[in-house]
Amino acid sequence: MKKREERLILGKGQYADDLAFFNMAHLVFVGSPHAHARIVSIDTKKALALPGVITVITGKEVAAHTRPLPVQANFTSKGWTWRLADVYAIPADKVRWHGEPVAAVVAEDEETARKAADLVDVAYEILPLAGDLRTALAPGAPKVYDDWEDNKQVHLVFDFGDSEKAFAMADQVLQVTNREGRVTGVPIEPRGCVGMYDTKNDTLEMWGSFQTPFLSRHNIAATLGVPEAKVKINAVDIGGAFGLKIHAWKENVVALASKLTGRAVKWMEPHRDFMATGPHQRDVFWDGTIAFKNDGTLLGLKATVFHDLGVESTNKGIAALSIFPACSSPTNMYKWVGMHVEGIGTVTNKSFYCAYRGYGKDKGIKFIEAAINQVAKKLNMTPEAIRMKNFIQPDEFPYHQINNYVLDSGDYPAVLNKAMEMADLDFYRKRKKELTGQDRYLGIGLVTAIEPAGVAVPNCQMGGITEARVLITPDGSVEVHSDRTEIGQGAEISHATIVADILGMDMAHIHVKRVTSDFIGQGPLSSRGAVYPASAVAKAAKLLRKKVVQCAGSLMKIPADQVVLEKGYIYPANAPEKKISYAQFADKMFFFPGPRGLDPEILKAHDHLLDVTTTWYSPTTPESGSSYTSFCVSADIAVVEVDIDTGVTQIVKYVHVHDAGTIINAQVVDGQIQGGIVQGIGEALYESLNYDENGQLMNTSFSNYLIPTAVEAPDIEIAHLETPSPFSETGSKGMGEAPIIGAKAVILDAIEDALSDFSIRVNDAPATPEKVRKWIRQATEKKPVIS
Amino acid sequence: MKMPLTFMLNNQQTTLEVDARQTLLEVLRNQGGMTSVHRSCEEGECGACTVLLNEEPVNACLVLAASVQGASVLTSEGLVKNGKPHPLMKAFTDELGIQCGFCTPGMLMNAYALINRAGDNLLTDQVIRKTLEGNLCRCTGYVNIIKSVQTAQKAKLAGEWW
Repeated sequence: MKKREERLILGKGQYADDLAFFNMAHLVFVGSPHAHARIVSIDTKKALALPGVITVITGKEVAAHTRPLPVQANFTSKGWTWRLADVYAIPADKVRWHGEPVAAVVAEDEETARKAADLVDVAYEILPLAGDLRTALAPGAPKVYDDWEDNKQVHLVFDFGDSEKAFAMADQVLQVTNREGRVTGVPIEPRGCVGMYDTKNDTLEMWGSFQTPFLSRHNIAATLGVPEAKVKINAVDIGGAFGLKIHAWKENVVALASKLTGRAVKWMEPHRDFMATGPHQRDVFWDGTIAFKNDGTLLGLKATVFHDLGVESTNKGIAALSIFPACSSPTNMYKWVGMHVEGIGTVTNKSFYCAYRGYGKDKGIKFIEAAINQVAKKLNMTPEAIRMKNFIQPDEFPYHQINNYVLDSGDYPAVLNKAMEMADLDFYRKRKKELTGQDRYLGIGLVTAIEPAGVAVPNCQMGGITEARVLITPDGSVEVHSDRTEIGQGAEISHATIVADILGMDMAHIHVKRVTSDFIGQGPLSSRGAVYPASAVAKAAKLLRKKVVQCAGSLMKIPADQVVLEKGYIYPANAPEKKISYAQFADKMFFFPGPRGLDPEILKAHDHLLDVTTTWYSPTTPESGSSYTSFCVSADIAVVEVDIDTGVTQIVKYVHVHDAGTIINAQVVDGQIQGGIVQGIGEALYESLNYDENGQLMNTSFSNYLIPTAVEAPDIEIAHLETPSPFSETGSKGMGEAPIIGAKAVILDAIEDALSDFSIRVNDAPATPEKVRKWIRQATEKKPVIS
Repeated sequence: MKMPLTFMLNNQQTTLEVDARQTLLEVLRNQGGMTSVHRSCEEGECGACTVLLNEEPVNACLVLAASVQGASVLTSEGLVKNGKPHPLMKAFTDELGIQCGFCTPGMLMNAYALINRAGDNLLTDQVIRKTLEGNLCRCTGYVNIIKSVQTAQKAKLAGEWW
């Protein structure tokens, strides 16, 4: 039963670009061709003269009619450096990155708006550039925000456990560095929405690719200065999101345009703009030292991670917030004595940073996994042996990690063992040796990871609590409401499965409703789906079941524990022939609940109203401060072959073993794993946003920003373990990010193993053919290879 | 410049008033009502707007609408018969070769042409991958898409096809 998928496959999708309203106008943004420049003047006369153009909005109008983008995360109170910039959706004074919108044209149709956008004449005075992290941090560097002391936005310092003790206990230490290129998670569908401002009632309603309608409402209302109660945000079918559609930024301008023109206004972002001015991620450099004993016991880490954030995030503070998980996650799934981790975030004249699958957790885990594999090499241990030695053991859960994470459950050794068995590790290690000397370079990579999932960061907009409503309508069908937008991750089918199971109904009668801002919650981000909304929905369904059982027992004059709910029917356990359908039952409850049917006590308590709204919040976060509730477990083993003449990496085998607790829908979980792994492979091998010396983004097209096609993507072998989480309502854990974390780490590890003859440290993603060739050339120049 | 355009759209003779500069993508979406033809890159890189032009897959964003005068254009809406999903569509749903659904209609059309071309030859993983190279998907990792195409071909060989 795949209602949504069947609807979409029949061509009945309603994506943002399909939205059409009566008398709808179209909005197109004008982007800056410069990375850092003062806006001297904007001449809109020519654009306005084009027939069909309604208005042109510039930074001046935006400043006059809206407020600066609201703060979404602010941690200045901790004594850390945490700067926030006072920015608007369109700047009035200067542009800070290539593509930043300087004006928005509203016209009768999109083609006219696009033409008019070319006619907006902007005079710029080009300013010197803080084009990358190194330049931006140099003394006297050009400042991205004039009122800041320098370009450092964030400097966080974390002490977990006792790092000094860890280093004092160590037999050895090892320095490890790692770099990850700048990427974007771009889905195939760009962002888009329609805004409709009702000037009679002063209300705003929007429809579009909103990943988090509740947060979008808060931020759009705040920017427009309208009470939230007068704004409603509706998510439509969303063509992929991965974190990149949690914005309220250009959307504010669409809302403003509707308010100023009194028209429904549609904006559909051209895909090249989505790349140039969409959220970016990664772009980090790690420099750390890991302490360990000669027997392979891991002890501690001292590390600093430098982030090139680009400009202030349009979700103000949310880019900086991703440095938290980057700094916390290196503990991964091992026992440690202590860590000292510093996270530095710098603003530069690049597009802004926001969420993308991983959101920092990927960075910390990727770094520590690479570091541990270096330690193993140093100690002549296998990568599996060093992990087995340091894993938290199955009988130690819940485990209070040194960074305050409360690890919920799992069997880490079993996950790794299963992966090793599936990957036929011994065979491939033997094969690698056989190929040595034949000019073929086989490499085996192995990493293990936990995925901190279901985020609730105290003291910011990502604070957590989620609301859900499940109700049985008078005709016996079921409505399910939550904050969990469907972005292709199986939200609808998962919710329907949970509710159908609890109520003993057929999934055909469960209707998972489109997400709007009416229900509280931050939506599906940081793998919250199976933790927060799924728990809230399950909790509501369980409470509803209790009502059904109580009322049916009263109606049938049997004890509640004798009521059976099965396949859409309700009957006494000892008399199945007396069954009534949910439709009959609901009709009775809504329209004929008089005292001759139900116990009056039920009526007095209104328990016959088959409608439950409830909330769910992590049981561990309030006391531990842990931002995450569940920790799914994975092991990735990849076998690659590197062609040293071309630098091309071929993936020969890919194995992924996963434990996401109780599985709600196996096909959905596998789909998340496969998709995540291929995105990880993209990061490891191909994807890199490259800015030139003038701050121009060089690749804004799928022709030069290379995401994996069906040809590059490998076959993926998957196996599951199911260790339920004690903390979620269904036993399931958040998942969907572990695959990208494991994949990007394991591919680089495998390439390093393939190039072991050259002693190359593969620590700079993506490992493109050009880069691999460069490494080989550098290595062979130092040490000629004997062929 | 406005001009009449007559062509077979999903097996129906159709005449639309189009602008000579419009692409087939724009005409199919805006005048033809075929919203399954998705717009993304608008430069022939992503494959989301793939349709069949005289049975050959093309990126509708790269074809001038005027050039399809007299030709036959098939979109995924045209695969639906009496409201029933085509066996190829059913395969994509059964195998979950669809996640967000945005690349799916284009993927379907390319796969439809491939399966029709293949005749009785069983499609290998490699051939399917190579053929679908121009249809980008960011959600599925392609694994279930490949499976869907193989399942669909089996349906065709079992006589369930149109």
